[in-house]
Amino acid sequence: MLYLELLFQGIVQGSIYALIALGLTLVYGLLRILHVAHAALFTLGGYVGVIVTNATGSFTLAMVVAMITVGLIGVLTYKLAYEPLLDKPPFIALIASIALFIAAEEVFRIVFGPYGLSYAQPPLQGGFEIINGFFLKYAEALVICISVVMLLLLGWFSAYTRLGVSWRATVTDPDMARAFGVNIQNVRYLNFFVGSALAAVAGVLVALLNNLVEPTMGSVASYKALAIIVLGGLGSIRGTLIASMALGVIESFGTIYIGHLLDRDALAFGFLIIVLMVRPQGLLGSK
Amino acid sequence: MTLRNGILGTVIGMGLVVASAHADNIKIGFNVPLTGFAAADGLSARNGAELALEQINSSGGINGDMLELVVYDDQASPKEAVPIAQKLIEKDNVIAAVSGSYSGSTRAAAGIFQESGVPYISAYAIHPDITRAGDYVFRTSFVGEVQGRAGAKLIGETLGLKKVAVVTLKNDFGQSLAAGFKEGAEIFGLEIVAEYEYSIKDRQFGPIVSKIRADKPDVIYASGYFFTAGPLVSQLRAAGIDVPVIGQEGYDSQKFIDIAGAASEGTIITTSLDRDSSAAETQDFIASFEESSGQKADMVAASAHTAIKVLAAALQSAGTSDRKAIRDAIATTKLTASTGDISFNDLGEVQKSVQVQVVKDGQWRHHSVIDDPKLLAPPSE
Amino acid sequence: MAYEITLLTTMSISVLFALSLNFITGFCGQISLGHAAFMGVGAYTAAIMMKASVSLLVAIPVAAVFAGALGLLVGFASLRVRHDFLAITTMGVVFLFVGVVRQQEFLGGEVGISGIQRSELGRTGFLLLCISLAALFAGFSLLVKRSWLGFVFDSIADNEDVSRVIGIDVAKYKLFAFVVGTAAAGVAGALYAQHFRYVGPDSFGFVESISVLAMVVVGGIGSVWGVMFAAAVLSVLPLLIQFVDDYKILVYSALLFSMMRFAPDGLAGIVNRSMNRIKGRSS
Repeated sequence: MLYLELLFQGIVQGSIYALIALGLTLVYGLLRILHVAHAALFTLGGYVGVIVTNATGSFTLAMVVAMITVGLIGVLTYKLAYEPLLDKPPFIALIASIALFIAAEEVFRIVFGPYGLSYAQPPLQGGFEIINGFFLKYAEALVICISVVMLLLLGWFSAYTRLGVSWRATVTDPDMARAFGVNIQNVRYLNFFVGSALAAVAGVLVALLNNLVEPTMGSVASYKALAIIVLGGLGSIRGTLIASMALGVIESFGTIYIGHLLDRDALAFGFLIIVLMVRPQGLLGSK
Repeated sequence: MTLRNGILGTVIGMGLVVASAHADNIKIGFNVPLTGFAAADGLSARNGAELALEQINSSGGINGDMLELVVYDDQASPKEAVPIAQKLIEKDNVIAAVSGSYSGSTRAAAGIFQESGVPYISAYAIHPDITRAGDYVFRTSFVGEVQGRAGAKLIGETLGLKKVAVVTLKNDFGQSLAAGFKEGAEIFGLEIVAEYEYSIKDRQFGPIVSKIRADKPDVIYASGYFFTAGPLVSQLRAAGIDVPVIGQEGYDSQKFIDIAGAASEGTIITTSLDRDSSAAETQDFIASFEESSGQKADMVAASAHTAIKVLAAALQSAGTSDRKAIRDAIATTKLTASTGDISFNDLGEVQKSVQVQVVKDGQWRHHSVIDDPKLLAPPSE
Repeated sequence: MAYEITLLTTMSISVLFALSLNFITGFCGQISLGHAAFMGVGAYTAAIMMKASVSLLVAIPVAAVFAGALGLLVGFASLRVRHDFLAITTMGVVFLFVGVVRQQEFLGGEVGISGIQRSELGRTGFLLLCISLAALFAGFSLLVKRSWLGFVFDSIADNEDVSRVIGIDVAKYKLFAFVVGTAAAGVAGALYAQHFRYVGPDSFGFVESISVLAMVVVGGIGSVWGVMFAAAVLSVLPLLIQFVDDYKILVYSALLFSMMRFAPDGLAGIVNRSMNRIKGRSS
């Protein structure tokens, strides 16, 4: 029973990782940029979620507002920060992105204060017992449901809509896509909008699970998500999903059984290094 | 020409007046994390220190001279703290200094202050080596080990419980608490059924919570700060674990109750600040702090407030700007401050009783006091 | 004076540290997001030795050897993974380093090692030692850059596969760059331990690794003079802009971002461009 619960906790954590890391993978697949500032958008999502919920009392509204505002800010980030750097060596964009991330953390602290914000009336508290002793919290159930729904939506969108198909085409071969009349610029905007909106969803959910949004909420996400997309094989959506879940589950069991030897981060990166030494292109990467 | 000279002369004259007014101020250095991961505690500490300063100055200063706080942000990093300490001593010419920061930076700065013979008081950093820097360094809060032992007594004697699950925050604060708690556990016959560690960055404790439910302890001893303990306690309660949770001064903030909400009810902590204290000093601090900062009082603010008050009292009784005399005055302090009756042992460690607080109706309230000089004896020379 | 001496010492240690990364990233093109780990190895090695009353001058070479040994290991990893994969692997190294150090009783665990005694050199003597070591490595870097070794590195940084085709033993030179760069970082670490007389696990983490990379990139990746200048300025910038204490990290990050956005080739690039403009005008 305990194993089942730990597995379940790993999946909850993995779902959150997946929501965050997907945006990063989408950006990498399209532009070859390690978009560290993505984690700041995740934090921003949390702030918008808490503020709108506290102001209006509607958690659903907060989720929608967070997705839209953060999505748009994501597009803006691309336009102002990355577009001018596309033809530069990749570490330029990486350092710019890190600088942007640090600046965002400071802005959060200065604007919202260092103590962080909490839901005044946190929604979806409590839980239910599935089988004896196995508790499922409403918030955790919601995390998994929303992740699954978002991923299904994403899958449907990329497979069955015109925009989605041109998106996939651009990722696979930008020149060919352009030759077939795809507007590359729009695809990039869409990419940043969708990726950032997913991060915002993760931010709102994490804020709910912890009932706390702090300026530094994104610091773990900033590097852990990088590890995940590299583990998954850089740019592979399926790889990212598998890596997210694998990391979530490994951390869950690791915290309990080898937590006294290595902390969560070291555990995750230890796993990453082992995998990369065996498969230098990541779990599902191709080379 | 003459007009210009006249104006110049006036300006220079005014400059001299301003400068001489400044020279009369007694400067106290204050290093505090205003940015970085410890910024929340840094803000509380600064507010607490500034309140103490305001109170002292509005009641006539030190024998008529005003106190002035020279504040620098050390980001809680030793790398920043060392040059800051030197700047305070050489450029700002402070007469003494207070640390409103964490252990790493305080430890690094303490060595510099000791070498230059400048008295230095650590408000709430817990590293045992801080006071070992030398005889010019003091601490107005408990070292982690003392508080850990107090936690064991609280569980074993006051609450009469036995089987403990220990959840330890992996940093110097959590580690020294755990060490003290284990010492105390032996004395009071506690049985540690399980032990878990987490990092300061963790906010999701799902796996630990699941395992603790399987362990079925009588009580949970969990170290942490309000931003880790809030999520931890709320996740424990949400999973249906209803045994008491015992924390420490890191929990001591209204923000802990905001985060954990209803789940925070009944959480017990060992700390330095008693909200229901009958001491006028404490009540006055709590009321004034809320008024001046718009925040609920917390342990960090009270500790910084206490440290400044201790220093001011020493300056008053030394009655001189001789740093050796001020050091000696601090060493013989007998003062009732917002965090209790303060006196120091030969190592410069504070000797006072431990306050136990409990969350009742969304407020920190008095639970009990642990007053056991032998058990709470700080490390000495 | 002690304050100025402290600032100068901090600057020269940072210069040495940044140059050591420049050797790997700037010269040989191998990006590292975990360089602070090697400084940490050197710092902990030296701290333990100095606690046991070993002289700083003995501790420095030992620190270099330990750091270089770990560098060799990571160098082997760089033969296996490349580009962004390597960047994230090195990032993993620093997290693993900090995670392991935290758990070691003999390294002081979470509380680190403090109370390291001052060396027999005195403050000024120690400053001179730091400056000479930084200058020595800068000189070595300039020498390498202008020698045939510099061309080999350029070629590897430019395109590994082509280098291999023209007969360069890529593995050998990469390992060489890693060992030299990390050993120098170990020396910087030993100096750090003596300078701050305190080492803790949080002093050598990911954030430090990023700061040093920022110094290299701002200076102009591969440019010895640019990197030296950037390291000297950036290492004390937080202290210089203390008057905006609450906003200083914001200012720092905004500067860093603007630099990447508007002058991605760093200070060296700016200088080169203006030199060319002046030359162009005069001819």
